[in-house]
Amino acid sequence: MPNSDAELRRLIIDWLDDQYHFGDAEQLIRDDEQSFLETGVLTSLGFVQLVLFLEQRLAITLDRAALTRENFDGMGRVVRHLRAHLGPASA
Amino acid sequence: MNTPSIVWQPDPARAAASQLARFQQFVEARHGLRFSTWAEFHRDSVVSFRRFWSDFLEWSAVRRAGSAEPVCEGDTIERARFFPALRLSYTGTVLDGGGQPDAAVAVVECHEAETPTAALQVREVTRGELRRDVARIAQALEAQGVGPGDRVVALAAHDADTIAVALAATGLGATWSSCGPELANEAVLARFGPLEPAAFVVTGQYRSGGVRHDLLARAREVAAALPTLRLTVVTGAAADAAVTRDAAQWPHHLVALPQLMAGTEAVTRDWTLLPFNQPLFLLFSSGTTGAPKAIVHGAGGTLLEHLKEHRLHGDLGPGDRLYYQTTCGWMMWHWTLSGLATGAAIVTYDGSVATPDASALWRLAARTGVTVLGASPAFWQYTRDSAVSPRTLGTAQLRALASTGSMLDDHWYDWARQEVGEIPLMSISGGTDIIGCFVLGNPTLPVYRGESQCVSLALDVRALADPAGGPDELVCGTPFPSRPLALLHDHDGSRFHEAYFAAHPGLWTHGDFIELTARGTARILGRADAVLKVKGVRIGPAEITGIARRLPEVRDAMAVEQRHADSPGGSRIVLLVVLQDGVALDRALVHRIKRAIRDGASADHVPAVVAAIPELPTTLNGKLSERAAREALAGQVPVNRAAIRNPEVLDLIRALPEASRDHPA
Repeated sequence: MPNSDAELRRLIIDWLDDQYHFGDAEQLIRDDEQSFLETGVLTSLGFVQLVLFLEQRLAITLDRAALTRENFDGMGRVVRHLRAHLGPASA
Repeated sequence: MNTPSIVWQPDPARAAASQLARFQQFVEARHGLRFSTWAEFHRDSVVSFRRFWSDFLEWSAVRRAGSAEPVCEGDTIERARFFPALRLSYTGTVLDGGGQPDAAVAVVECHEAETPTAALQVREVTRGELRRDVARIAQALEAQGVGPGDRVVALAAHDADTIAVALAATGLGATWSSCGPELANEAVLARFGPLEPAAFVVTGQYRSGGVRHDLLARAREVAAALPTLRLTVVTGAAADAAVTRDAAQWPHHLVALPQLMAGTEAVTRDWTLLPFNQPLFLLFSSGTTGAPKAIVHGAGGTLLEHLKEHRLHGDLGPGDRLYYQTTCGWMMWHWTLSGLATGAAIVTYDGSVATPDASALWRLAARTGVTVLGASPAFWQYTRDSAVSPRTLGTAQLRALASTGSMLDDHWYDWARQEVGEIPLMSISGGTDIIGCFVLGNPTLPVYRGESQCVSLALDVRALADPAGGPDELVCGTPFPSRPLALLHDHDGSRFHEAYFAAHPGLWTHGDFIELTARGTARILGRADAVLKVKGVRIGPAEITGIARRLPEVRDAMAVEQRHADSPGGSRIVLLVVLQDGVALDRALVHRIKRAIRDGASADHVPAVVAAIPELPTTLNGKLSERAAREALAGQVPVNRAAIRNPEVLDLIRALPEASRDHPA
């Protein structure tokens, strides 16, 4: 189970690569605050798939009402939102 | 099996007033008959199919000339020819819409908003405007030498311009063939290359997912590879500017649609009545091997079948607004276009269903007054997974949903009832091959959970039992007008025979599994052949495996559909690869394979899973057996295991961890 923020990032990058970018995801995401939607990293359709994947992989349930751009449109936002669900990373 | 629950019942008064009921009364009065049940009426339409089509032609009042006799020459499906002495105009009938006035709305054109917070862009085109535009475009195309026998191809968005040019071209007797912008150039050329087209239509720009795409820039490569082209017409917003930019580098005459129409007169046109079997549309059916096959569909057969489906099975008519989630590369685009002939308006959308958010399409339906909305199970799933509740979005005007493209599982009937409303969910299914449907809705019958309401009128749909104990196979036993005229360049008909008649001589073999119930309802149970239907898109495995095999690491490949509840639409593509000696399937190679398929075909073609096996399952005759692989992926013992040369491979496939049905998509 991914624990640290870096592991969560890696989990998402790997998923983006497997589903959409096939090895290019790391290059596409230049910084944590970059919008996924506005830079073609992910479409709204892909957001739903990502959410379903994270729920399954991390054994959590994400409130659909909280699936806003503020919470999900960017790597930093996703990780922060997940962190709020998962609690602090353990040592 | 127990009778499933009824999830929708027609209102008796509405059912009695439906076009289906009125047509039945017409037939009864005309021939002194009396049908007490739908089953009786349907049976009569099959047994007396000639009389049915003659009656329907008369009842639907299609403007025509010549003789309606003979109705059908020949008794075998493979050779029969409907209405060989009749002439009509597909374009004229579609534009007329049963005598709709000029002021009536014909097309509601929608474009994705320019920004996430901006409003959807909506433009209404009246019948009068569409009639004039189509007439002027036809006049201009004619002046450019486009006429009967020519082929006009399009790489285009689903919008009003594309509709107008398509109707103009077909009105002149040219044959229309279109691909949506989602298809990569290589796949477009695999389709258009053999057509030797005279004219090319390109939507200059389109929007999807918040991004504006310059389609014209990409289309230059396509145009350059089609030496028979004499003309490219650029449509859509900013067409003039795009032409100014690109004209000097274009390999032939490039013109924007407004420029093309500039020298024409704003008059309506008395459309020439063309032979019933005039080639109208060229569609592509991706087979299990080789390049996509080009299917030639005739004007009369397409028109009559679509009118029958829309008016009788869908009760579509004036006052309705039809929207189907499609691109112009899929037959549902042609099906939607023909909806105009009923007097209904059609709604087009150039954009993503997910932009600005998951409610986009439902809001579009509410805003434009869509009454009949069609999509695929993948879209229902996307809506559900996004926690969008359509009934809260102002969609009360919806009176029916249609679903096609993939099997529709039972639970979607409950979802539709709870989240959309007390309206019928019509599970319709057929295909590109017949440019129509074998199973459909019915305004006079209930909807049973998980089932299509009925079999299409005048089509002798049968469930052929598999002696080996597998599911029944869908075949059709009597001639029907929307059977393709031919496959392109198949001069002796041998490929046509092989594709549809070789498996069961004398019967049209469609390639689907089906269950027919004693109540007259039906369930489509998936593909019987190797064709893939994923996310509502029909995909020929050869388009995937052909690209995979070009990678030096891949010796052989097989693409198989796997039912997978968590995947959009309930199924996904698994690509089984045999690698060269010494090559291992690591993530980097999986990505290279997927990237090559995306870039060479489309994102829809990309397999969800790539898995390596030592060899592909083959029959004792040496043929690849996708069916055995599919059944192994489903965790079953393949029905034809005894006929497989290397059955141990099936055990390996069944045990593949990445292809486990529990493994994430």
